[in-house]
Formats: sequence, C-alpha cells, structure tokens
Amino acid sequence: MATIIQLSPIHTPSLRIFSSHSSQNTPSLSFYLPAKALTFPSISLKPYTTAKPRALVVTSAVKSLSETELVPVPAEADEIAGKLPADTGVYAVFDQNGELQFVGLSRNIAASVLTHRKSLPELCYSVKVGVVDEPDRAVLTQSWKSWMEEHIKATGKVPPGNESGNATWVRQPPRKKPDLRLTPGRHVQLTVPLEELIDRLVKENKVVAFIKGSRSAPLCGFSQRVVGILENQGVDYESVDVLDEEYNSGLRETLKKYSNWPTFPQIFVNGELLGGCDILTSMQEKGELAGVFKK
Amino acid sequence: MGSRGGAKVLQLSRASRMRTKLQTALEASVLEIEDVSHQHAGHAAMRANANNKDGETHFNLKVVSPKFEGQSLVKRHRMVYDALADELQSGLHALSIVAKTPQEIGPK
Repeated sequence: MATIIQLSPIHTPSLRIFSSHSSQNTPSLSFYLPAKALTFPSISLKPYTTAKPRALVVTSAVKSLSETELVPVPAEADEIAGKLPADTGVYAVFDQNGELQFVGLSRNIAASVLTHRKSLPELCYSVKVGVVDEPDRAVLTQSWKSWMEEHIKATGKVPPGNESGNATWVRQPPRKKPDLRLTPGRHVQLTVPLEELIDRLVKENKVVAFIKGSRSAPLCGFSQRVVGILENQGVDYESVDVLDEEYNSGLRETLKKYSNWPTFPQIFVNGELLGGCDILTSMQEKGELAGVFKK
Repeated sequence: MGSRGGAKVLQLSRASRMRTKLQTALEASVLEIEDVSHQHAGHAAMRANANNKDGETHFNLKVVSPKFEGQSLVKRHRMVYDALADELQSGLHALSIVAKTPQEIGPK
C-alpha cells in the first residue's frame, strides 16, 4: 500500500500542470508527501524528546518491550532455529546482567541475533523479539521506534549499542576470504604432483569447496548455491576456483580423478568428499549440515 | 555423433542412452530424466565448449533403486555417475540427482 501512496505525489504535479483548475483532489494526495517524510527518518534518540507524547499515533505492530518474553540466546547456530524466528521484526539484546544493550531491526531476526552472538558473546546473552507481519519498512521502523521510546522513557537512557557513534553492533561487512590457489602460476614447474597438493589441501582444512568461479562471484548456479549454503551455515571454509587456469591449471581433471567425482562443485569436509550441490542441498534441508561441520 | 541409427536419431539421444544405462545398472523402479541444458546455455563453461551447442549437457535425474539401500548419498551419486561414465566423458556436463530407495518414497 505504502508504495502506491508514495507514487501518487509523483504523478500529481504533472496532472496539475495540465489542469490547474481541477485541483480539488490533488491536495489531499500531495499532502502525504511532507507528512510521510516527517514520520520516520528523523527519530531523535535524545532522552528529552520522549517526554513529548507520541504525536503520530501509529499502532505498533509488536507487543511492548516490557510485555515481551525474554529468551536466552542459544550458543550454537543449530539451536537458534526453532527458538528464534527467521522473520522480519525487531529485537532487543540483553547482556548477562539483564541490561538492554541494543535494539535492532532485521529481515531475519534469528540470523541477526546469531551474528551478534558470534561477534559479541558477552553482550548478547538473551533477547526479546517482536515479529512484524507487515513487511513494510515504515511499520518495521515504527516498531523499532516504539521499543526505543519505551526503553528511553523507562530508564532515561538510550541503549548503549544504539548511541550515535557506537558501531559495536553494526554489522561488519562480511569479509570474504580470498580463494585459495593451488599453484604459484601456470608456468611454474610443480615440485609436488597436483594430486598431492589437493590431498594436503583437503586434509589440512576442515571445509573446502571446489567451485566454478570465485566465492564472491561464482560462475555457475550450482557453485553459487553451495557458497550460499556454506555462508548461511556460518561455516569457515576455503574455496578453490577450478576455472582459474592461471593458478589452478589442470585442477579439474586431477580433482575428478582424486575424488572419483565427475562434476563440480565438490565439497570436502575433514578430507572426505561430502558431495556436490545436490547432496549439500539435501543435507541442509534435512538439517544435517550443522552436525557435519561441527565435528 | 549419431550416424549409426540413420533415421532413428532420436533413439540415440543422450537422454535415451542414459535411460538404458541407468536402467541396466541400477534396476530403477522410477527413472525420470529431464534435459535442462537450455537453462545453462549461457554459462561460462558451456560457452567455452563448442561441442555443447546442441544441448544435452545438463540433466535432472530422479532415480529410485533398491540398490541404493544402505548407501550414503555420496555412494548413490557415484553409482549414478559410474553408470554414466561414458556420457560424462563425451560432453555430459552436470547432473542434478535425486537418488532414493523404494522405501524412502514408499509412504507417499
């Protein structure tokens, strides 16, 4: 709905140019533009503003912060499923002493909380979550705002993680590891057979994915899906681009023989071939992957 | 390729060869073969190889075979790949495999 409202002011000015006399219906439409612009981008986190009664009463899509149940954050990724929703909404993170540290909004609450838990285990002890069924950004922002305001009103403080300039909880852009190269270059004579290099690589690294293209830009749909699944599982894995003719020359044929597997991608765990894209996908669907990567 | 059969070129398509080979090797009770090569026509590896112009490089397979009983997924896929070794040598590029035992699909 919101998009329609946003669009209409764009259309109305041109209408008005053509028929300035029939402007009866346009003001009501264009009125939305300034009103809307005021609603959300300018939330002030200063405690002072909260004394002011909420002028713009938009019914919050979530329960109030105090009414929401506090849930301990599981330590392991596979325990989070089921306990926290992978849905859009707001979440409030509490430390071990029950102090509110941060209020965030997310398109996938479970994933966001998991990320916090991993990067800030000591601050991310338990959470309250409020799922917002309406995927509209404004509703989401409003829910976040209502929790923030409730907390500020109750304590007079902004949660430390939400103070301006505090970047503790800001998601760090995922650092993509570079793909591994098996050889120093095509024209360098190998002193060790390629097969042995593969063998060492898969045995010295817990999870290795041989893919087409790089992990940041896979060149085949199956490789892309594999990278997606591994990233999704939060697995620390190494990747090798089998199409890299400069640094992995001859790898495709050698690897096919080494693993007795004719296609790519190939995923190795603890030196053993786990399988290709189909197997990884099917294991993910059955929830078997976390166990495999934990060992 | 396919000059042996003369008029019966269709009989010699990769899909039908695959069907025969899988049927023989795995005694499959269900065998679905779907050519999805067109979905991959643009991808890098396909453009690089001129032999792949006429498709039949990518297939979706569904195989239900009692021989998969007690075998891991990797082993099941290997059994499929082994049966199709010649095809993989001659331009078959990728398979998406669903390999199940009759029991596993039983309840349906």
